[in-house]
Amino acid sequence: MQQPIDERQFVGLLEESDDLQSDAMKTARRDLNEYVEAAQQARVENAAQESRLFTPSRLAAAGVVGAGLAAYGASAAFAADVPSDVMALQTAAGLENLAVFTYKTALTLPFIGGSSANGVVKAFAMKTMAQHTEHGAAFNAAAVKLGGKAQTATDPKYTPIVSAAVPKIKGPADVVGLAITLEDIAAQTYVKDVGLVSTSELRQLFASVAGVESQHKAILLAVQALLAGGAPQLIALPPDAAKLPAAAGKVGFPVSFYPTSMAAPVNEGAVK
Amino acid sequence: MMARRDKAPEMAITEGELLSMTNELDTMHRQTFPDVRKTLDEFSANVVAISTKQATARRNFLMGMGGAVLLGTVAACTSSKSNSGTSPTTSSAITPSGSTSSSAPSSPYTGDLQVVALAAALENLAVTAYKGALAAASAGKLGTVPPAVATFVTTAMAQHMDHASAWNGVLTKAKLPAITGTPLTITADQVAMLNAAKSVPDVARLALSLENAAADTYTFAAANVTDVGGIMTAASIQPVETMHAAILSFILGEYPVPLSFIGIDKAVKPSALTA
Repeated sequence: MQQPIDERQFVGLLEESDDLQSDAMKTARRDLNEYVEAAQQARVENAAQESRLFTPSRLAAAGVVGAGLAAYGASAAFAADVPSDVMALQTAAGLENLAVFTYKTALTLPFIGGSSANGVVKAFAMKTMAQHTEHGAAFNAAAVKLGGKAQTATDPKYTPIVSAAVPKIKGPADVVGLAITLEDIAAQTYVKDVGLVSTSELRQLFASVAGVESQHKAILLAVQALLAGGAPQLIALPPDAAKLPAAAGKVGFPVSFYPTSMAAPVNEGAVK
Repeated sequence: MMARRDKAPEMAITEGELLSMTNELDTMHRQTFPDVRKTLDEFSANVVAISTKQATARRNFLMGMGGAVLLGTVAACTSSKSNSGTSPTTSSAITPSGSTSSSAPSSPYTGDLQVVALAAALENLAVTAYKGALAAASAGKLGTVPPAVATFVTTAMAQHMDHASAWNGVLTKAKLPAITGTPLTITADQVAMLNAAKSVPDVARLALSLENAAADTYTFAAANVTDVGGIMTAASIQPVETMHAAILSFILGEYPVPLSFIGIDKAVKPSALTA
């Protein structure tokens, strides 16, 4: 095993990671355009189908001309999938915005971003915040290209919870616990959204981000265990694996199948 | 993995306390599993009709995607001549067996079920790799194995067995043979790499490449399987593989979350299935 590295070396690793990320982003941007083009194509096809199947008289006969449909106004003909896709994307963007806010706030604390911070934790928080920013931008870009508005606010359900938690933060463990919750909610939401959005490309987008949020959670769970054990010195890259207790080897991935019971509803963060 | 404990862990938390934490997580796991079973049952009920109806179109689509869905790290280590499968074993020297044609022209697995079979084979390959690592460690071939690494291997292996069981459940309910071995074109080279491993980092790098390949394959599957049950199964397994990868990267001293978006460039393409 390698010896633990110092913060400068860690920054070097981050730069290598950024090079990887740069390549990945080129692909991601191309993919995002494909997501949107496919969704727009689906929208056109749905519109044609819906306009045949759901004429005003048929809708009235079926009793489905309600407030929800009316809210879509001129887009009512596109009913089935696109509004739901846009809401899912806006909700996801709201969760990402909240994550960015939380990490940004955490980095103002001395034990996360200040002089008493663990260098690895600080660098992880900064990198993770940047990744959430990218996720938010991707979700919003897709929402806008599908005819929706960008979600610039934070998630309405969890924002008050975070706001209430921040003043009570006493140390790194509190921040890590809060971050685990947010990462988990985001990952669960995106896993569930994979089964709800209307195109293959959007499914890939949500899946690709879910996998990253779950990685954040895995590392945070490991960090949480080390903090709980009073062993912050083992939070290093690489860790001194020989000193880690056996159970630390499984704390980062607690389940065989990622749950969705805490997933945010599709419309939770939709732009009103 | 029979870990050699040359030094006592220097950690304030006791093994009991940490085990208590992980036991809570095991409870979460048991609570999650019924939901997955329900999804799989629904998938099984739908998949036969769907795969029969759309087999041709899906096969064409997947083949069309083949140009874009390349084997990344795994493929780079894999020769095109390798068409072997192997059954999970505890031998310290893993031996490939069960060669079949890579094109598998008469394969019973078509449409969504081809992806299901591919997933089961990949999970079995991961189990094989981790079992091989345990055997090599027991034989003293990997040097000192930290206890946490040993726990990682046994836990990740158990989760891959859960995944394989889930996918095979779909196959058997569709009246198709379960995938009990590793009928993949990449198997022989992966096994050769495992047998050549001489240290924990060697094994960890091999495992990392398999976990990344699995994660990318599930990302691809989530986008391209037609049945929502299959989509959700892939979507619920993919994050677990990425979590394995993150911890492995961390152990190896690499940045644990290097990408902002999980890609499909390392995905194992359906044509790699030889069953």
